[in-house]
Amino acid sequence: MASQISTAMDSLNAAVKSNIIPNQEYLLQGSVMDSAVEVLLQRLRGLCDNVDSRPETFRDHEMCFSIRRGPPPEQPLSLRVRRALDHQDMPWQLRYIGQPELGDKSRPTIVRSSIDIATSSTVVEFLTELGCRIDFEYIVQGYMFRKGRMKVTVAKIFKMVQVKIPDNVEPISQSYLVELSVLAPRGQDAIAEDMRIFAEQLRPLVQLEKIDYKRLSH
Amino acid sequence: MGVTVLQQFPMSENRTGPQTIEFLTKRVVALGAVQTGQFLVDCETYQSVPQLGSPKTVHVLHNSEQPASVFAVLESGTKVVPLIADGLFDLLMLKMTSIYTSKKQTKVEAKGPRFEIGDFCVKLGSVTMSQNFKGVLVEVEYRPCVIPGSSWELMREFLQGFLGSAVPNQAPQYLQNRMNEIYQPMDTIQQYLEHFGQYRKSTSVI
Amino acid sequence: MQREEKQLDSALEAIILRVSDLKSAIAGMLYKLEHEYETLNWPNFLDNFAIISGHLTSLSKILGHDKAPNMRNFTILPLLLSPEKDEDLLRMTEGRISTFAHDLVPDYLRTKPEPMAEQKMNHLELKASNLTFEASQDSNKQVAQYNKVVSHVWDIAYKAREEWEGEAGARAAQVQTSSSADTHTLVAAIGMGKGLKSDSGPMAQSRVSPGPPGIMAGRSGGQAQAAGQGQIGVGQMGKAPSAIKTNIKAASQIHPYGR
Repeated sequence: MASQISTAMDSLNAAVKSNIIPNQEYLLQGSVMDSAVEVLLQRLRGLCDNVDSRPETFRDHEMCFSIRRGPPPEQPLSLRVRRALDHQDMPWQLRYIGQPELGDKSRPTIVRSSIDIATSSTVVEFLTELGCRIDFEYIVQGYMFRKGRMKVTVAKIFKMVQVKIPDNVEPISQSYLVELSVLAPRGQDAIAEDMRIFAEQLRPLVQLEKIDYKRLSH
Repeated sequence: MGVTVLQQFPMSENRTGPQTIEFLTKRVVALGAVQTGQFLVDCETYQSVPQLGSPKTVHVLHNSEQPASVFAVLESGTKVVPLIADGLFDLLMLKMTSIYTSKKQTKVEAKGPRFEIGDFCVKLGSVTMSQNFKGVLVEVEYRPCVIPGSSWELMREFLQGFLGSAVPNQAPQYLQNRMNEIYQPMDTIQQYLEHFGQYRKSTSVI
Repeated sequence: MQREEKQLDSALEAIILRVSDLKSAIAGMLYKLEHEYETLNWPNFLDNFAIISGHLTSLSKILGHDKAPNMRNFTILPLLLSPEKDEDLLRMTEGRISTFAHDLVPDYLRTKPEPMAEQKMNHLELKASNLTFEASQDSNKQVAQYNKVVSHVWDIAYKAREEWEGEAGARAAQVQTSSSADTHTLVAAIGMGKGLKSDSGPMAQSRVSPGPPGIMAGRSGGQAQAAGQGQIGVGQMGKAPSAIKTNIKAASQIHPYGR
């Protein structure tokens, strides 16, 4: 037992300095049509680590909040809260996501800063009282696979027809969203190359790409 | 995790802070307590900027007893919302420095030796606010029980046994309001926050 | 018809011109070899070669040209052979051929195969005529066998090709499995709430002001801090503070979907 005790902030600063906090997300996105999702799931079962078991399913409710940090052009701080509807006793997840960096052609994936925080279920009320406003919410339901440090989700996005009632939902597309992501400490760019190779193996079934959703709005 | 009572130990004229801690250490050791390291509870308070509307306060606390957690308490005037998060929550607060500013001079911490004696855990904390000594807080935890109502009498006896008349016969107000509920780590944090608030208000050592 | 004759004429003219160029170049070189062999140097000599090879190239270009008539299709028919000395011929050939007689014509007009080839043909024909009946039957059988094998291999290759092309075609015609329009819809939805917000305006309002009663389900009204507490720290309770490294790991592993 150490006789000297350091504050939590000191420990956190040390962790930040030694770069062990996974605060970068490497991301590729794509979609697969409902008719072809079974084929994709079969292929992922073959490619990924959790082969022997059935693919892991999930059903999450995600709420997106934002809070102004200053007058425009200052971008509002965007925060996301996610909870597992199928595992109600799990901690909720609070997530900060930074601006996505697409980089040039030589960079295989989108990179964005990310802080993932497990929290108690009071987080929604906490954010609301903090001054955040909810922008939108949705239900995401599907399958999750792992391949080393990579995570693959194949999920349907549902719009909530009634506020706060996650049972009454309707899909927003005839396709499943496919995401390939890794959360890693800053500077581990080698993982992006692994992701590119993995994405290559899913073609032409799914085209996993760097997508700039900011540009899609125009 | 059991029920915890936080008790202020009044300072006397003829003892300094470290001397008080030493004095209490002798007493608990005499009872058969064994020192098991140090403990630390700290609290940093953030204030919303005026542009955000009605003033809000966020207290962010850490307790070495739950080292992977960060405890936040938001006071918005009408509501008090507690939040338990993992350690990265501190990084998120750093993202909000333009709307929630830290009042560094009110940063409080309670720090000192931690003892175990049978089912009890005793912590002798000297309270400092931005390096100034403010007083002594004694934390006693009775670990086998999680219902305050069932354990208060036992704890009172134990507390009075080594703190003497400083301990009232009534449970602290905070516990009285939830005598029959399951005690949680956040309750300890709330008690610290109440006491820290008193130290902040007073200008002298208490 | 007339046009073709004209073409032939002009082609012949061009060929003759090239040939005479080539001839004069060869003559020039021979002259040099005979008269200037004492002063002749290699670069000069090689230059002459280059000139000759240039002429040869342009000649073969004319012969290979699209518009040039195929000389192979034309026949030269010697109408009259005579053992008499012919003065005109002598002059035209610069004194090389004096008579147009039967002993010279086959060589010059190539009515026979080349002597070497002729010899080989004779040899083979002799061998063939000496073969016995059985031996020829045998070799016929072998030929038939060989043909059979070759055609069989060809069949296999052809079938494989057909299959392969068919597969490639089928793959190209395969049903679409992903749509970039759908990808964009989905990504914009989760990224910016596009398509999720449209009729959710009032919802956002109601959410912010009175606070979300539904979220706190299972809680006793005024005591918001009762139920979900201590979840995060449970694992560490009663334990000594461990290093931050493991803390962060433990925290990030709490939620397996840590997206």
